[in-house]
Amino acid sequence: MDFFAPVLDGFGTVMDPTNLLYCLVGVVIGMLVGVLPGLGPAATIAILLPLTYGIEPVTAIIMLAGIFYGAQYGGTITSVLLRLPGEASSVVTVFDGYVMAKQGRAGTALGIAAIGSFAGATVSIIGLTFLAPLVASFALDFGPPEYAALALLGILLVATISGASKIKAIIAAAVGLLLATVGRDIFTGAERFTFGNLSMADGIDFAPLAMGLFGIGEILYNLEDRHRAVSAPIKVKRVWPSGKDIKQAAPAMGRGSLLGFFLGILPGGGATISSLVSYAVEKKVAKDPSRFGKGAIEGVAGPETANNAAATSSFIPLLTLGIPANGTMAIIFGALLIQGITPGPQLIGNDPELFWGVVNSMYIGNILLLLMAIPLVGVFIRILRIRAAILAPITVLITMLGAYTIRNSIFDVFLVVVFGALGYVMKKFGFEPGPLVLAFVLGSLLESNLRRSLLVLEGDLGGFFTRPISASLLIVFVIVALWPMLKSFIDKRKTNTLAVQVETEKEKV
Amino acid sequence: MQKHKDKQDTPETDEIIATEALTPEELAEIWESDAPAKAGPVAHLASSLVLVAFSLAGVIMSVNLDLGTPQTPKAGMWPFIVSIIIGVMAVVQLIVGRGGGRDGERFTKYSWFALIGFATLILLVILMPVIGFEVPSLLLCFVWMRWLGAETWRSATLYSTLVVVIFYLIFIVGLGTSIPHVI
Amino acid sequence: MSIIVGYVPTPVGKAALDAAIAESKLRNEELLIVNSSREGALVDKNTASSDDWKEVEAVVSAAGIDSQIIESTYRDDLTEEFLRIATERKVSLIVIGLRQRTQVGKFIMGSHAQRILLQADRPVLAVKANAH
Repeated sequence: MDFFAPVLDGFGTVMDPTNLLYCLVGVVIGMLVGVLPGLGPAATIAILLPLTYGIEPVTAIIMLAGIFYGAQYGGTITSVLLRLPGEASSVVTVFDGYVMAKQGRAGTALGIAAIGSFAGATVSIIGLTFLAPLVASFALDFGPPEYAALALLGILLVATISGASKIKAIIAAAVGLLLATVGRDIFTGAERFTFGNLSMADGIDFAPLAMGLFGIGEILYNLEDRHRAVSAPIKVKRVWPSGKDIKQAAPAMGRGSLLGFFLGILPGGGATISSLVSYAVEKKVAKDPSRFGKGAIEGVAGPETANNAAATSSFIPLLTLGIPANGTMAIIFGALLIQGITPGPQLIGNDPELFWGVVNSMYIGNILLLLMAIPLVGVFIRILRIRAAILAPITVLITMLGAYTIRNSIFDVFLVVVFGALGYVMKKFGFEPGPLVLAFVLGSLLESNLRRSLLVLEGDLGGFFTRPISASLLIVFVIVALWPMLKSFIDKRKTNTLAVQVETEKEKV
Repeated sequence: MQKHKDKQDTPETDEIIATEALTPEELAEIWESDAPAKAGPVAHLASSLVLVAFSLAGVIMSVNLDLGTPQTPKAGMWPFIVSIIIGVMAVVQLIVGRGGGRDGERFTKYSWFALIGFATLILLVILMPVIGFEVPSLLLCFVWMRWLGAETWRSATLYSTLVVVIFYLIFIVGLGTSIPHVI
Repeated sequence: MSIIVGYVPTPVGKAALDAAIAESKLRNEELLIVNSSREGALVDKNTASSDDWKEVEAVVSAAGIDSQIIESTYRDDLTEEFLRIATERKVSLIVIGLRQRTQVGKFIMGSHAQRILLQADRPVLAVKANAH
């Protein structure tokens, strides 16, 4: 029972009426903003970051978890109703979800997505409850070299797995690392890249960076992209899925949860990959695969369960190792740092109330999501009718004024605008902001651990390879780094030999 | 009856295709064809060169910060390493992606909108501490709605006023934040 | 020559369509059915859904006339977009639906129908919802 005592205490924390209220507010606001065109979960959390200032840490995190789930579900809503995936992880939901909506079963699709999300999160949270302390205790022995290696690996994995161009992602990550060095050096006290600006002496704050890159950058980008197809009003009957629907979808949910849980622990795009894999698995397992794409309920249930399970299990590396697995987790990491909480192996031991509060708030967040999803569909449809021309200045003002309220600093607002421009330009030139933000968050951790290790190892880089954990992490790093080159080399040889074969065949004839 | 679909190129008259339930493959095709034009080799070259310059600047400033030695790294060491990585990757990018422009997007005439939007944001930052947030916000809303969003004069005036009033009520009256305001 | 009708999935729009079909039969001319949606919002109540189009097709084919459906989007001005199509297709008659509105309502909301009536350079037939 010793093990479960803190878990139950955590539930006590979450069940506190204040926390419950904030969680509810978070879910609803998250859904509302998540439904807005062009604003995915990362942008939503970034824009709403100022909301969590000035609240108690536990409450703030609970609210963030609510926003996170709400924003994720917002993407599902537009996928089902308008065939517009709010983010990569709900793309596959479009295939069957939209068809179901066309058949007048939008309520069923949305309901099953909410139930699936809940199921997926439940499995992941149970897994997290058992796995997290284990990982954390394992990581307690980590020294500076291990942390440096782990941070390097995390950045590299996110850079290589997500996005189109790996080289560009690595460049973006490196720029993020450089931005993290701005300010006073913690070892020598030297001022770096501040250009004599007093506001820069303490370094660049995370909130303006994230709000600018994800929030304003996205809004500026959307300004020139208004030519979306317009849909006729959607009639949604507020029906919950029937018992038969749930029975039909249950096996898909089961598979989706397990799949999502394991894929989610791996760094880099866990939710997206797991939804894709789940769709493929469901299609393969189904007795009649031709139903898919024509409104098969499993095609909604599986991927939606999987992406939420993955989103939840990606909290494991964040909370136990302090390594965010993707861009969205990087924002949550940043938000935790703002609250004075450093996620890492010590968190679970030093602050069990907080740790389990966070874990359980995910659970409550999902229950609230389940309760709010169907009744609020009418509100969402009404929001979709508001023209972007009206919405854009509203979201911009929320971001700008919100940024000001954080520290009452106009310089922060200025930074938001500058990073907004950077985000826009990056998007135009094919660079993703995700790796940059992630690297920025891990930057100081990486640098200080690297320098500490160099001090400990007396400048001998070979020392990294004499310690088993750091050595294996670095070997994985090298493999991941070299894999794309290796693969293209193999591909080339394959096509070469193929070409040669074709040539010889021709000669024979 | 013959159902006819017009396709015209001017953006104002971009006539849309009646959308029916489609297979995932068809859907992917539609998304592909809807996607904006790729950035192309010039943008590719330009972005790589800017990054190289950025990296050189980083290297020079890091050296000025004092690198130290591997045994006792000083303030400049880490930024130096990272700057080098940026430079090397930019050069790799320049070479590997020569044919280039598989990602990114071309600037269109609507890209001016983003620039105008950026200008109004800068204006808000400059004016807010001087004359409070109300007037600059009203201006921003109006510009975004009337010119960037093609609302009518009437609705732009109405909605921008409404938005500023509501923001005033929320941020100043309701939350009591210290955002500079005149009233 | 052809006839153009502005179609919206409302009683007024259906009245306009009916009148346009009658006129098209009478003159033995092709009917252009235009539904234009405003850009910016993801959902617009004036946009015809696929069900609406099915209904339109049924009505039109029952009447046995030639027709074309034109779906378009406009950025800021429906009147301009509508008249542009009318001019481009060199139509002989424009059919629009009129809502009954007070002068005050028209002042605040504006009226596309009124502007089409005033700005069109060809005959316009304006139809009210309760005409039949």
